[in-house]
Amino acid sequence: MVQVVFEKVSKAYGDTVAIPGLDLMIESGEFVSLLGPSGCGKSTTLRMLAGLEQPTSGNIRIGDRDVVNLAPAARDIAMVFQSYALYPHMTVAENICYPLKKRGVAKADRAIKLAEVAALLQLEPLLARKPGQLSGGQQQRVALGRALVREPSVFLLDEPLSNLDASLRAHMRAELIELHRRLGKTMVYVTHDQLEAMTMSSRIAVMRAGELQQFAPPDEIYNRPANVFVAGFIGTPAMALADGSLADGGGHLVVHVGPLAVALPYAAAARPAAVTVGIRPEDVLVGEGPWQAQVRLVEPTGYETIVALDAGGLALTARVPGSKALRVGETVPFDLRRERIHLFDKSDGRRWKPAGR
Amino acid sequence: MKKRPAWIVSLVTWPIVLLIAFPLLWMLITSIKPAAELFSTSPTLLPKAITFEHYARVLQDTPFLQYFANSMILATSTTVVVISISVLGAYSLVRFAYPGRETLASLVLFTYLLPSVVLISPLYLMLVSIGLANTLASLVIAYTSFALPYALWLLRSFMAGIPQDLESAAMVDGASRMGAFIDVVLPQALPGIISTALFTFILAWNEYLYALVLVNSDEARPLTTGVMTMLISAFNIEWSLLMAASVLMSVPLIIIFAFFQRHLTSGFGAGGVKG
Ligand SMILES: Nc1ncnc2c1ncn2[C@@H]1O[C@H](COP(=O)(O)OP(=O)(O)OP(=O)(O)O)[C@@H](O)[C@H]1O
Ligand SMILES: [Mg+2]
Repeated sequence: MVQVVFEKVSKAYGDTVAIPGLDLMIESGEFVSLLGPSGCGKSTTLRMLAGLEQPTSGNIRIGDRDVVNLAPAARDIAMVFQSYALYPHMTVAENICYPLKKRGVAKADRAIKLAEVAALLQLEPLLARKPGQLSGGQQQRVALGRALVREPSVFLLDEPLSNLDASLRAHMRAELIELHRRLGKTMVYVTHDQLEAMTMSSRIAVMRAGELQQFAPPDEIYNRPANVFVAGFIGTPAMALADGSLADGGGHLVVHVGPLAVALPYAAAARPAAVTVGIRPEDVLVGEGPWQAQVRLVEPTGYETIVALDAGGLALTARVPGSKALRVGETVPFDLRRERIHLFDKSDGRRWKPAGR
Repeated sequence: MKKRPAWIVSLVTWPIVLLIAFPLLWMLITSIKPAAELFSTSPTLLPKAITFEHYARVLQDTPFLQYFANSMILATSTTVVVISISVLGAYSLVRFAYPGRETLASLVLFTYLLPSVVLISPLYLMLVSIGLANTLASLVIAYTSFALPYALWLLRSFMAGIPQDLESAAMVDGASRMGAFIDVVLPQALPGIISTALFTFILAWNEYLYALVLVNSDEARPLTTGVMTMLISAFNIEWSLLMAASVLMSVPLIIIFAFFQRHLTSGFGAGGVKG
């Protein structure tokens, strides 16, 4: 069942166009992340869905209702704000009960709901405190509690983890995944942290300058990025991108990039004139191979080592298992996983799929 | 910076405090001295005998209580009017986008910069023409006209400090815009509202010039002008009564201050920094 629909939704603030035209369909029960660099319109999209911002044109549906002209209160949504937006003058219990109170839930029922949510989020010892007396992680759980207490049809979360330190963030990430699994509710999650998006989402909507770049499950976004932007944006360390060209090497396709001529296992049928070639760090195999590269930078991370390579003017990044003894300036042989090389048509930046693939 | 020893600080502050407090002290002492002692050629700081006859006379033989009631009504109504308008006005200036918003805000401040003397005659003529001359209502309008701009600015800086997300959250949680305003904005702005209310009340309670010009009947005279006209004549100043009346006049403000002092200082501080 389709739960949330954006139809040609645009949003302009005066002369600046934040969203030129967005089409998006979110299924019921999905966990969708809106991912993109700062200022790409993620919050604007979420706020339009919440009714806090009016679209300039277009239509938004939640369930089978058009909601564009509905007040936020009437949309059956709950939202967790990046700033948490806890009411400072109310206790934790009052904060969590506020949505129920506003919807006329009887006092006895409120107490039951509060107890449920408090148990779920381990908030029992904090109920009498004011938000100012809580740590960041506790505040975040209260903000979640205020959203969960009402069982809306869609949850909206705007970078709820961005104010937390790294370890707490990993912990809350796991809790959110678990929560979504247990509740089975539709969640729309805004983040600019690709790790969050990759680990939690059923699908990721990658945005750039207000435009949807790709809307797909995490593994597809990673393994088959739809265009150069998604390819460069997803993955750390980033995919190496370089201009190249395609040629016919006696029946099969040969890509020329930098000084390399790489034969690919595809037929050399119709092909674009110029391409952008993308190579992920894990697809560069250092140690043996037909090519030579100079080591420019070695970054040991413990589990693996990130190595920046210069292959005759072509900049590549490689992941090497363990802390391999490589020295800067040293020349090493390397190979590429040829079937995993990404090709993008240079004329429009889109992913180019060789025939027979 | 090195911290100075406490006794040096005291040495500097206490003389200043005494200097400022001395007239108040003298007022209090004069009001409880017998009249005979008042004009003694060798005045003493502490009275030789204490009497409350001046207080009794002020309360029984003069229209003091009438003036007191007038001042109470005047200051309270002005405060209510100014706060109602400025809370809504400040919210509008902070939250709603409309053309000329910034200009409006600066114009409002501009009226505050004009000396009040300049505005008296036009205001008087306007009040006469709408038939309000010589009433308490005319003073409420006059005081509102110059308390409102400052109140607007003070509250505006307070409301600008309230995160908009709080209201958004309340609206998502089921409140209407007005509901969010009442549930979230008002409690958050409360310290600002209290200090603005105090400011307005004190201003209306102490105002003299407009009261002198706009009102000349005992029914509508507030304390400031009332006490002056009844006790100071060309021939004689009733010092003892004047001082007793002055002490009585100060009492409400002192009580209010004692109650709200915490809010007042924090309020003016916050407003000042952000404004
Ligand atoms: N109230 C506003 N007035 C004018 N422009 C705005 C307003 N709100 C957002 N914008 C603009 O719209 C664009 C999208 O903003 P938005 O807040 O949606 O970005 P975002 O993707 O959430 O970024 P971030 O990751 O930094 O939160 C930005 O260019 C921003 O400058
Ligand atoms: Mg944002």
